[in-house]
Amino acid sequence: MKTKIFTKSLGLAGAAALALLLGGCEQPPQETAQTGPRGTGMVQVKSPEREEAKRAAIVLPEVQPEADASGPRASEVYENVKVLGHLSEGQFIRVMAAITEWVQPEQGCAGCHNLENLADDSVYTKVVARRMFQMTQTINAKWTAHVGQTGVTCYTCHRGQAVPAEIWFKSPGDDNPPYMGAKNGQNAPVKSVAYSTLPNEPFSALLVQKGEIRVQGTTAIPQVPARVEQGQTIQDAEKTYGLMMHMSTGLGVNCGFCHNSRAFGSWAESPPQRVTAWHGIQMVRELNTTYLDPLQPVYPANRLGEAGDAPKAYCATCHQGVNKPLYGAAMFKDYAVELSPPKAN
Amino acid sequence: MIEYQNIFTQVQARAHPHDGVPFSHGTWVRSEEPFFSYWIGKLGNAQIGPFYLGFLGLASIVCGALAFFLIGMNYLASVNWNPIMLVRNLFWLSLDPPAPKYGLSWPPLNDGGWYMIVSTFLLLSVLLWWGRTYVRARALGMGTHVAWAFASAIWLFLVLGLFRPILMGSWSEGVPYGIFSHLDWTAAFSIRYGNLFYNPFHALSIVFLYGSTLLFAMHAATILAVTRYGGDRELEQITDRGTATERAALFWRWTMGFNATMESIHRWAWWFAVLTTLTGGIGILLTGTAVDNWYLWAVKHGVAPAYVTDWSPVADPALAAGGVR
Amino acid sequence: MTMLSFEKKYRVRGGTLVGGDLFDFWVGPFYVGFFGVTTAFFSILGTALIFYGASMGPTWNPWQINIAPPDLSWGLSAAPLAEGGLWQAITICAIGAFGSWALREVEICRKLGMGYHVPFAFSVAIGAYVTLVVIRPVLMGAWGHGFPYGIFSHLDWVSNVGYQYLHFHYNPAHMLAVTFFFTTTMALALHGSLILSSVNPKKGETVKTPEHEDTYFRDLIGYSVGTLGIHRVGLFLALSAGFWSAVCIVISGPFWTRSWTEWWSWWLDLPIWS
Repeated sequence: MKTKIFTKSLGLAGAAALALLLGGCEQPPQETAQTGPRGTGMVQVKSPEREEAKRAAIVLPEVQPEADASGPRASEVYENVKVLGHLSEGQFIRVMAAITEWVQPEQGCAGCHNLENLADDSVYTKVVARRMFQMTQTINAKWTAHVGQTGVTCYTCHRGQAVPAEIWFKSPGDDNPPYMGAKNGQNAPVKSVAYSTLPNEPFSALLVQKGEIRVQGTTAIPQVPARVEQGQTIQDAEKTYGLMMHMSTGLGVNCGFCHNSRAFGSWAESPPQRVTAWHGIQMVRELNTTYLDPLQPVYPANRLGEAGDAPKAYCATCHQGVNKPLYGAAMFKDYAVELSPPKAN
Repeated sequence: MIEYQNIFTQVQARAHPHDGVPFSHGTWVRSEEPFFSYWIGKLGNAQIGPFYLGFLGLASIVCGALAFFLIGMNYLASVNWNPIMLVRNLFWLSLDPPAPKYGLSWPPLNDGGWYMIVSTFLLLSVLLWWGRTYVRARALGMGTHVAWAFASAIWLFLVLGLFRPILMGSWSEGVPYGIFSHLDWTAAFSIRYGNLFYNPFHALSIVFLYGSTLLFAMHAATILAVTRYGGDRELEQITDRGTATERAALFWRWTMGFNATMESIHRWAWWFAVLTTLTGGIGILLTGTAVDNWYLWAVKHGVAPAYVTDWSPVADPALAAGGVR
Repeated sequence: MTMLSFEKKYRVRGGTLVGGDLFDFWVGPFYVGFFGVTTAFFSILGTALIFYGASMGPTWNPWQINIAPPDLSWGLSAAPLAEGGLWQAITICAIGAFGSWALREVEICRKLGMGYHVPFAFSVAIGAYVTLVVIRPVLMGAWGHGFPYGIFSHLDWVSNVGYQYLHFHYNPAHMLAVTFFFTTTMALALHGSLILSSVNPKKGETVKTPEHEDTYFRDLIGYSVGTLGIHRVGLFLALSAGFWSAVCIVISGPFWTRSWTEWWSWWLDLPIWS
C-alpha cells in the first residue's frame, strides 16, 4: 500500500515536471535565416508561432485620402499653428485625422484639444504632440541612415495608443537598503534586460548620456599599464551587455544579426546591419536629449517615472520585437509632405 | 547480463563498522558512532562516519559558515527581508564586489565592504581546509597528493579573487557571489577581453577539463568492467598485479595500442585534473594584465581563421562621423 | 616485441560479433576484427577528405583550417563537395569510425571477459556528437546547423550559437553539464590523489591499504564512498556531463528560440509568489 502511494506521487511529480518542461518550450521546426558565412553559427532562429502572433498583432490603419496641396497655408487659416503651418489647409486636416487614428482613436480630438478652442495649448498632450511632430520630422529628414526611405510616422511607436507600449524611465537611483544588501541597480529580474541579472537600466548612461558602449580593447596588448581606471571595466561590459539584451529582444533578433560574436567590437567582422544599428543608437540619444527628456515639465505627475523624469525611447519603442518596425510597412511615403520638415525655400 | 555489469551492490555484508586506522597526530578524537545507510550502500560504502573535526576543520567550517551566512544576510537585505522573495529571486541575488572607483582601498560596508569581508572569510576557510587535507594525510602516514591537487584549485581561486585584482589595481575585478551574477561576470569578462575562446590557456584548461571527464569515464568504466576479477581493489592490484589489471591493460592496448598501468592511470588522472585549474588560472591572470583583446592577439599570431562574407566589409561609422562614437 | 609479458595467454580466438575468425587477429598491439577494418576504412577516408578540404581552402595553417557545413539554403540535401559536401562526407566517416570503434571495443570486452562499461560510456560521447551534427540539424531543417571542423572555427561556432540565445550560461541544461564537468574533474583529482597518496606514502612508511583510503575520507568529510563506489560515482558524473551537454544543445533552437535568460520567467511567474 505504502509503495503504491509512493509510486503514485512519484508519477504525479514526474507528470508535473514533464508538463513544466514542455510548457516552457517551443515546438520544432523553427524558422532560421543565415546572417553570416556558413558554419559560423550566425543564424537567426525564430518560432513560426510567435512570428505569426507578432504579425497578426499589427493592423495598419487605412491611408487618409489625398489632400489638395494648394491653397492657403494652415498657419494662415488657423491660430497657433507652430510646426505644421507650412502645410495646406487640406494637408493639415489630413494629418490631424491621421494622428487621431494613430494616437487617440478612442478620445478623438479631445485627446489633445480643448474642444471649445482648438488653438488653446492648455491640454498637455497637445504640447507634447507638437514636439513629437518636430521629432518625427527630424527623424525622417536627418536620420535616413537609420530609418532609410521607410521613415517613421506617429503609428510606428504609438500603434493606436496615447502612450506607446515600449517606453522607459530612469531607475530611481540609489535603491540600496541601508547597511547591507546593495543591489547596484542589478540583481533583480526585469524585462528590460530580458530577466538577466545584468544592470537593469543601462539606458540613462548609454542612450541619454553618451556613455561608452564599446568595451573591448582595440589592441592585443594593453596600451597603458593594465589599470582599470584607464580602460573599460567588467562592470562597463555588463552595462553594454544589458543594453544589447534590450536591443536583441527589442528587435527580435540575436547577437549574430549585427555581430560575429568571436569579435564583437570588430567592424570588419560585422554584418552591415550593425552600421544601421549604430546610427539608431545615435538617433535615440538625440531623441531623448533633445525631444523627450526636456518635455518633463509638460507632463502631469502620473505620466512621469519614479525618478520624476519624462518617458523616453529606446530600440523597442519603435521596433516592438521586429527588426524592421511594422515589418517594414512604408507608412511614411503616404504622409511624406506632412511628416517632413518644411522645405528651406 | 545486466547483473554482471555491477552497477549496484546487490548483497551488503554487515559487520561492526570500521573505526578507522589509528592516526599519529591530532589531539581530537573521531566523533560520532558510525552508522549504516542501506540506500547509500547500493552505490558505495554503506558506512557513514566517523568524522575527525580537529582545530583546522572547526576553524574552516566556522569561517565558511560565516561567509555563507553573510552572503545570505546580504541577499535577504536586498529583498527587504522578505523570505518569499529570497526564494523567488535567489538565483538573481548577488553580493557584488566594490565599484571600480575604490581601487585597492577598503570600500564602504554596503558598497563592497561586505564582499571584502566575505572574501576574507572564504579565503581563510579554504586555506584552513587545505591545511586539513595535508595534516590528515600525514597523520595516517599517507602522501599529500590530495592537498596539492586542492592547491591547484586554490590557485585559480586566488588568481580570480586576489592576484588578478591586485595586478589590475582594483578589487572590483573580483567575481560576484551569486548564481546568475557570476555567470554574467564570466560572460562580460570574456566580452571585455575580446573572446576568451582565443585565450590559449583557456583552451588548454578546457582540454584538461574535458580530458579529465574523458579519463574518468575511461578509467571508471574499465575498473567497473573488471570488478568481477577484483579490479576495484586498486591498491592490491598495484602492488600485486592480478588478472583484473592484466585484462584492463590489454583492453586499452588492443583498442588503441597503448595502456597505462594500474598506478600510472592515477598519475594521468591527477595531472589532467590538476592542470585544468593550473592552466585556467594562468589564462585568467594574463587577461587584462598582459593581453587586452584575445581575438586580436590571435589575429596577430596568425591563428584566427578568416571567413569569406557575402557582404562587402563595413567601416566604423564613428570614424566617418569625425571620431564621435 | 609488441606483446606484454603476460599477454600471450590472453590472445585467444573468439568473441567476435561479425566475421567469425576472418578478422580475428592482431596487428602489432592492435586488435583488428571486422570493426577494426571498418574503423580503418572510415578514419583513413575521413582524414584524407579533411586534407582534401584543406587543400581547397586558403591555408595550411593548422589553427586556421576550416571545413564548414553547407549554407542553410541547402537544407537537408546533399551539397556540392566544395560547398559543404565535404563536411557531410566527413561527418558520415566520423560517425562510421566512432561506431566501428565502439563495436570493436565490444568485441575486445568479449574476448577479455569484461563488462561493457567502456563501449557504453563511449556511446554516450558518440551520442553527444551525433546530437550536434545530425539530430539538431535535422530538427532545425538544415545540415548547415552542424559545427565546422577546425580548431578555432569550431570555437567561433560555439560562440555564435551561444549568442543565438543571448546568454547561454542561463541554459539550465548547460548549467547542469558544466557542473558535472567540474564535479567529475574534482572527483577525478580526489580519486587519483587518494590512490597515489596510498601507494606513495610518507617517506619511511609502507604502502597503505583501502582502510587508510576510507579512513582519510571519513576523517576529512565523514564519508568514504569506497574503492568500488568511486568508480560508479565517477562513471555517473562523467556520463552525466556528456548527456547534459547533448541536452543543452539540442534544446537550443529546436525547442527554444529566445534568450535563455527569458526562459527563467516561468519561475518568476509561478502562482505561489503572489
